[in-house]
Amino acid sequence: MSRSDRHSSPWAVGLWLIAGVAILLAVALWALGKPGKDPVGNAVLTAQVALQDNMDFLRAGPTDGAPDWEAASMVLHDADAEHGASLIEQHGCGSCHVIPGVSRAHGTVGPSLAGFRDRAYVAGVLPNRPGDLVGWLMNPTVHAPNTAMPDLGITEAQGRDMAAYLYTLQGG
Amino acid sequence: MTSTLDQFGSQTSYAEAGVGAARTLALTNGMTIIGLAIFVFVMAIAVYAWRSKAGGRGWWIVGGGILFPLATLLVLTVVSATILRAITAGTGPDSPVIEVTGHQYWWDVVHDPDNRALRDANEIILPVDTPVTLRLLSDDVIHSFWVPSISGKMDMIPGRINELTVTATKEGRFRGQCAEFCGLSHPLMAFEVVVLSADAYDDYLERLEDSARDAVTPQQRRGMEVFLTAGCTACHTVRGVSENGRLGPDLSRVGARASLGAGMWRMNLGNLAGWIADVGDMKPGAQMPSYNHLSGPDLRAVSAWLESLK
Repeated sequence: MSRSDRHSSPWAVGLWLIAGVAILLAVALWALGKPGKDPVGNAVLTAQVALQDNMDFLRAGPTDGAPDWEAASMVLHDADAEHGASLIEQHGCGSCHVIPGVSRAHGTVGPSLAGFRDRAYVAGVLPNRPGDLVGWLMNPTVHAPNTAMPDLGITEAQGRDMAAYLYTLQGG
Repeated sequence: MTSTLDQFGSQTSYAEAGVGAARTLALTNGMTIIGLAIFVFVMAIAVYAWRSKAGGRGWWIVGGGILFPLATLLVLTVVSATILRAITAGTGPDSPVIEVTGHQYWWDVVHDPDNRALRDANEIILPVDTPVTLRLLSDDVIHSFWVPSISGKMDMIPGRINELTVTATKEGRFRGQCAEFCGLSHPLMAFEVVVLSADAYDDYLERLEDSARDAVTPQQRRGMEVFLTAGCTACHTVRGVSENGRLGPDLSRVGARASLGAGMWRMNLGNLAGWIADVGDMKPGAQMPSYNHLSGPDLRAVSAWLESLK
């Protein structure tokens, strides 16, 4: 066998090209005929739907379709609001505060926590946002040395759960 | 959400933990079963009489209307009286005596009142399996002492000394309640009973002889200072600090109790501070004034000190 035989002639290249195009066309026709069985197309479609969802989420807003960054900023990820409510009950918060949804929490020593989510400041000294609220619950006297609210020895995890509950209190 | 009743141990006659409660429960169950049997029997006779053509017979009236009720009531009376004797028996000259005085709306407790007179409040510690004489008094109106899991109830009447013998049979925590309407905060007048082993009871009495725990931290010392200067001592006693106050509960080991405000709230810093700042909100009608004229740091200090008294 000569060395040149191993190189394809121009005819052979043309034939290979035509065969390749034919295979591509056949796959495309098959995929068009049977949508849902085409893995590549499915992946594209899934990605498109996910992208659309994200866009919808970002666009969703209370009024004008703008992203609701404010609501997103009040979320404490992985915090358990229900557990927070029982912690609030256990620590006796209700002896000083009115707290809707917590049993016997009708204290009038401190401010009512009804509608706490809409409050601008925590105790008048910290902006009302998750990190600051958790910091306040853990150690109020650091932020307001003259406050009557005692340090109750609340851990960060407990504070996050309690804050998550307080942020469910809206309106009223 | 837990109710107040679940929070501080059982308050039900069905979870018996004392001789009185156990015998009374057995009597109740027995009477209920016998009563049901009689009811079914009487109904059966009524149906029979309704269907029967024959006229009534005299011996049914004499037997069922006079003899049977007489016999039943006689048996019940004898059984009840026997149980009452068994419940109240067992105390001797060496048995522990605890004097409990009802106040609006708390309980003064004095262990061994005739000798050592060791005072505590709102929590009654009992030794297990030991008949104890409770000497029940009232300082103002009629109250009633009732720990359903341990014994029946007994009124506390001003000017009278009523004695109730109780024998707790299980160690644990039980809740009692004033069972006679006594004023605005009657429903908030509860207490705890803690049943300990005989040794633990003796240890507890020894601790009642000692002074209250020392103030250690600067905040606790400031709290003690506030307690002494803000007027608290006019009504409250803390052994070794100020011992003249008798109008309110003894606070020498207030932080060791599981509850605050006579069995009503969990004992913790938050509730203590809330209580001191606004008693009227937590217990309407209580004699203690609200101390919301204390500065924030003073309020926190006195709460922290009281919470440390264990």
